[in-house]
Amino acid sequence: MAIVIQPYRPEHEPAVAEFNQRLRQACEDENMVFYRWAEPRWLPRRAESRIYNEYFVAVDDGIVRGGYALKTQEFFFPDGQTRSIAYYHHPLSEGIVNKTHAVVGTLLLRDAMQRAPILYCLGMGGYDRPLPRMLVRLGWAHSLVPFFFRIVNPSRFLRNMQTLRSSPSRKLLMDIVAYSGAGWASSMLFQGYRALLAPRSAATENCGVASFEADAEGLQSLWEQARQTCSFTAVRDAETLSTLYPPAQKHLTRLLMKRNGVVIGWAVVGERRKDAKYGNLRVGSVVDCFALPGELLSVVRCATQTLERQGFDLILSNQSHHVWGEAFRAAGYLSGPSNFLFAASKNLAELLAPFETARPRMHLTRADGDGLPANF
Amino acid sequence: MTASTFEQVRNVASDIFGIPANKITAESSPETIENWDSMQHLNLVLAIEEKFGVRLEPEDIEQMKSIGAVAALVEKLQSAAH
Repeated sequence: MAIVIQPYRPEHEPAVAEFNQRLRQACEDENMVFYRWAEPRWLPRRAESRIYNEYFVAVDDGIVRGGYALKTQEFFFPDGQTRSIAYYHHPLSEGIVNKTHAVVGTLLLRDAMQRAPILYCLGMGGYDRPLPRMLVRLGWAHSLVPFFFRIVNPSRFLRNMQTLRSSPSRKLLMDIVAYSGAGWASSMLFQGYRALLAPRSAATENCGVASFEADAEGLQSLWEQARQTCSFTAVRDAETLSTLYPPAQKHLTRLLMKRNGVVIGWAVVGERRKDAKYGNLRVGSVVDCFALPGELLSVVRCATQTLERQGFDLILSNQSHHVWGEAFRAAGYLSGPSNFLFAASKNLAELLAPFETARPRMHLTRADGDGLPANF
Repeated sequence: MTASTFEQVRNVASDIFGIPANKITAESSPETIENWDSMQHLNLVLAIEEKFGVRLEPEDIEQMKSIGAVAALVEKLQSAAH
């Protein structure tokens, strides 16, 4: 029998459970499982949906050998048009654990490219991973989304950051710096220096926790005024924000910035999922943000102060737009090595052409990946 | 499958999998070639398309389970094109 890739339906669920079991038996990574339920728990497709997830499975004589997901969402393009495009995510192939099925990975990607020619991928964990290598080989346009971090608690950072404590001698050095207070002092000096250089904010601004539904008009106006600053961005209008960040998502904090009663920006912040490389650190994330030109630093400060008040030791963010990068640096963030990639299919890259010119003004954040609502 | 097509496919596979052509037989498959993983399968697909000027559809790609099957597929696509 030939492998057929088809929409994931409830009758496939037992075969997907068996597929997951085979992966688990052969692979220690507990994230290597496909979705248990055919209907997406997050953003299922409805008649009126502007953002939705769909799942597909590769079935060979009733046996599931792989699957992938597409998230369809509207994006704003350099020509001023808004288009629905798809995000290819969570591809899983039995070829990972059994080379007999090495063909499945290629089939999944080719199938997605046929279903949704204007396609992108985001995240992926670095250029050395199989999917990015495939995309590069296929001639997709690609770039790294810059990574920013701010150390709030230097002592805990030095004692917990596992990637810095990779040998006994480095562990000892980190402990000495942590317990002597040298880490704290140098961090404070750095933050102070950045604060001196950073532009002052107007005193009339107001930063607060908000329900996005309550200020839909202000958010819509902000979107319409600020989208032109981006060469490429997911639509972040009022309706989209209430879909992505409904009040029911208690683990995310929605922040609204106003000046003289006018919405000048917003941010969404939250606690990042646990990751062994951060040890016991409490890691916060500026998940998403948008602002009027000239107001970005105010939004970054608002988001940062909120996370600091919530007791996070370290704050992370990924920001592709160069002006957001400048705002994060001005707010005391450092740049770090990124493994968060953006890749655009040839059809998408044509709409962004020239890609290298569009790249600095693309607005991509963690929220554009598959991590929401909980796994960012 | 002609000897000529098989030789050409074998040379492509030799380059991709990094093994001498004389070690590759018609029966060589992902089970017998250590480097034949998902990534190299994609490389094989793209290299075959480039070398023979054919377009491989998903149903073609699914048939590429051995070097002999790849050569037979190439011949089928080439004869269909003429």
